[in-house]
Amino acid sequence: MFGILGSTKRSPKGLDDKSVASGGQAEDGAIRLRNVNIHYGSNHAVKDVSMDIQNKKVTAFIGPSGCGKSTLLRALNRMNDEIDGCRTEGEIILRGTNVLGKRIDPVALRTKVGMVFQKPNPFPKSIYDNVAYGPKIHGMRKRRSLDERVELSLKRAALWDEVKDRLHESAMGLSGGQQQRLCIARALAVEPEIILMDEPCSALDPIATSKIEDLIFELKKNYTVIIVTHNMQQAARVSDYAGFMYLGELIEFGPTKQIFENPKNKLTENYITGRFG
Amino acid sequence: MNWSRSKGGPGHDPFQKRFRPGEDLVVWFLLAMASLAIVVSATIIYTLVDGSYDFFTDSRVNIFDFFTGSDWMPNGMDPKFGILPLVQGTILIAGGALLIGGPLGIAAAVYLSEFAHRRVRMVAKPVLEILAGIPSIVYGFFALLVISPFLREYFDADYFNAAAAIIVMAVMVLPIIVSVSDDSMKAVPKHMREASLAMGATKWETATRVVMPAASSGIMASVLLGLARAIGETMVVALAAGSVAKGGWNIFGEHMTMTSYIAQVATGDIPPGVGMQAAFAVGLVLFGMTYIVNSLAARIVLRIKRGKGPSGKGPINKVLREIRPVARVRFIISETWIDLTDRLKRDSKRTSVLGRHIKERVGRAVLSISLIIAVAFLGFLLYTVFVQGYRGLSWEFLTNPLSWKPEKAGIKVVIQGSVYLVLLTMVFTLPVGVGAAIYLNEFARETRFNVFLRRVIQNLAGVPSIVFGLVGLMLFVRTLHFGLSLLSGSLTLSIMVLPVIIVTSEEALRSVPQTFREAARGLGATKWQTVWHHVLPNAVPGILTGSILGLSRAIGETAPILFIASFYSKVAPSSIFDGFVALPINIFYWTKNPSHEFQDLAATTILVLLVILLSMNALAIVIRQRAQSRRQW
Repeated sequence: MFGILGSTKRSPKGLDDKSVASGGQAEDGAIRLRNVNIHYGSNHAVKDVSMDIQNKKVTAFIGPSGCGKSTLLRALNRMNDEIDGCRTEGEIILRGTNVLGKRIDPVALRTKVGMVFQKPNPFPKSIYDNVAYGPKIHGMRKRRSLDERVELSLKRAALWDEVKDRLHESAMGLSGGQQQRLCIARALAVEPEIILMDEPCSALDPIATSKIEDLIFELKKNYTVIIVTHNMQQAARVSDYAGFMYLGELIEFGPTKQIFENPKNKLTENYITGRFG
Repeated sequence: MNWSRSKGGPGHDPFQKRFRPGEDLVVWFLLAMASLAIVVSATIIYTLVDGSYDFFTDSRVNIFDFFTGSDWMPNGMDPKFGILPLVQGTILIAGGALLIGGPLGIAAAVYLSEFAHRRVRMVAKPVLEILAGIPSIVYGFFALLVISPFLREYFDADYFNAAAAIIVMAVMVLPIIVSVSDDSMKAVPKHMREASLAMGATKWETATRVVMPAASSGIMASVLLGLARAIGETMVVALAAGSVAKGGWNIFGEHMTMTSYIAQVATGDIPPGVGMQAAFAVGLVLFGMTYIVNSLAARIVLRIKRGKGPSGKGPINKVLREIRPVARVRFIISETWIDLTDRLKRDSKRTSVLGRHIKERVGRAVLSISLIIAVAFLGFLLYTVFVQGYRGLSWEFLTNPLSWKPEKAGIKVVIQGSVYLVLLTMVFTLPVGVGAAIYLNEFARETRFNVFLRRVIQNLAGVPSIVFGLVGLMLFVRTLHFGLSLLSGSLTLSIMVLPVIIVTSEEALRSVPQTFREAARGLGATKWQTVWHHVLPNAVPGILTGSILGLSRAIGETAPILFIASFYSKVAPSSIFDGFVALPINIFYWTKNPSHEFQDLAATTILVLLVILLSMNALAIVIRQRAQSRRQW
């Protein structure tokens, strides 16, 4: 049901891959970015980023604040469209389609590229309604299928056992960590391929954070996860690939182990070792 | 759930733009609602210009004499139309009101922002809100039947005189001056006050030399907004200031303003013909004056918000650029530490520390007097209305029809008229206003059109209410042939309260956290789904509260329906095409009636109106508080 097994073998669209920062085998990439430039008015927030993001792996964007990592993340499901004066150029290719194209429907895109935000943002509704909202707007009407979907999503978000007896109570009564897992369940219920996480733990305490991190580890069995984080340890713990961004540029991108243990770029090394001025 | 390309057959793109006719339709519909504001504005200008054209092309009218003539005699065989006496009356009364109300309002604002204890604010704020919420017809009643007799007694004033109107209008402009000035002084950064206090300045010195200069442009804007309100005020002058355009500057004599002339036409005191047409030309001048004053104020406010100087072209910005350096110099002077310490040293040479403390005490007392005046005025107004009106209150009064005999007269049909009027107004404005607000807040991007749209709505809110009366008469009564009916009346009120409903609804929508929208959009909800499922439900209490307050303004308004309401209808309207009479209209005619019995009944009717307004406001407060206690975010 969540699988994309039948569709992984796709021929690349004849793009020039030589100059692309690649996390590994390029052909299997879930998302391919080519010369992505993002402007906020006169501010050039993301500069000429090209990279291949791997399927069913966790990719982390790291870097100092204001380096453009969140902006880049939000470009992947066109959330930047909601911001006045934000322009995105280049190509972001998902399943052979440039999602930045004019004829792309961001609404359809977002059903496949889900998002979890910095602060837990449940709707002021019941736990059940929060999770069922996505499937409902995408046409699921039957009570039984909805029930199933809610249960499955909550289980995948490792929240089911904690809330199964109070599904119809307000989501606002949950703790911060539970709320964030609810938001993950809510994103999963739409059955996305890719999940974007924008500093998902920055508003949480350490215990809640470790639960989310465990969850991310579980999620990559079925999903491609892209996470933005300030926290270097977190990036090292959860991600398979990491990209270091600085002043809008992607400085280095590769397997996390390599980025952290043997960075090729001086800037990356300075940042990783905390010698950043 | 395989979403690869192969699923939809060859050439099917998984993220291809979908055709969502519903979504597009909704957006177009909302845009149409918002654009109604433009239609209304265009209609206002067209009506005034068209009517003025007919007036100026009349053989008895000379356009040059209109702007330069000092005789205004609209009746008779040889009418004279020189607008100067009307402009003079307007300037005398509005200027006089501002001369009193301006300093009082600024003083009250300084006191509230810099000195007042929290408890004083808790009393003062509601008092000012009540003063702002009392319909102008009630102020008119007070001016004619309470202030004017006093002036006749002690100052040998005429029965109708400008002074009574000036005094009452000085209080009417207080709320807007206080609230805008207070806001701008609160926006002065705290560190500036602390810097001053740390140098040993007293609170009084800090308030007058640091805070006030820093907030000077906001204070100026508040005075301009007050001025626009005073220029556009109709009912007070129509009741208290008289109906002869004499000119001159005698404040104890009769004066006619631009608004009261239009009101005179509305009440049928001017026979149809060229005198009636003149109302449109006067309306156009009035519209132009308030437009200039209001947009000047709006630009200052906008500039404060952006923290920038005026940059655009055009005459208004030229004036602003002239004003700006003055304010800036004063600002810099008072901000400079050395300068301030110098001054303090000079002061301390002249006066001891004790002397400065005494100065502070005195200053504080002087400022607080302005608030005491406001509270006393409100108390006195309510007291006199109650004393004059309570005896008339009876079941018969509430349930009898209108009558020529005061002892038999009742206001049943009047109450019914007002209730129907407000219900219809609600039916018309709520969907349009909320739709426009949704468009502006949720869908509109910063395009030229939308910036223009916002400005049109803002300007619409500043149009004097009597001008809406002229427009309602031409558009609904004559052009659309709705006649002098409930429908025409409620449509006229609707276009008047529309900006209020739009602005308050927008505020309610804005208060819904952005995170809800992001969450829904991130799940792939369309914009309209996001609005319908998450934004609107959470904004309903705020929208309701704002709308009730907007409608409570409609129920107290007299001037816009003065042309349309028929005072002589003895039965309640049974259809929307029937004539009607409303509470404020009734108060107007009974207050004007020379018989004391009817004047007392006017007071009784005011009591009924105030009770209705009070319950509407109470309802709004209850809704707001219930929503706040239930709110989870």
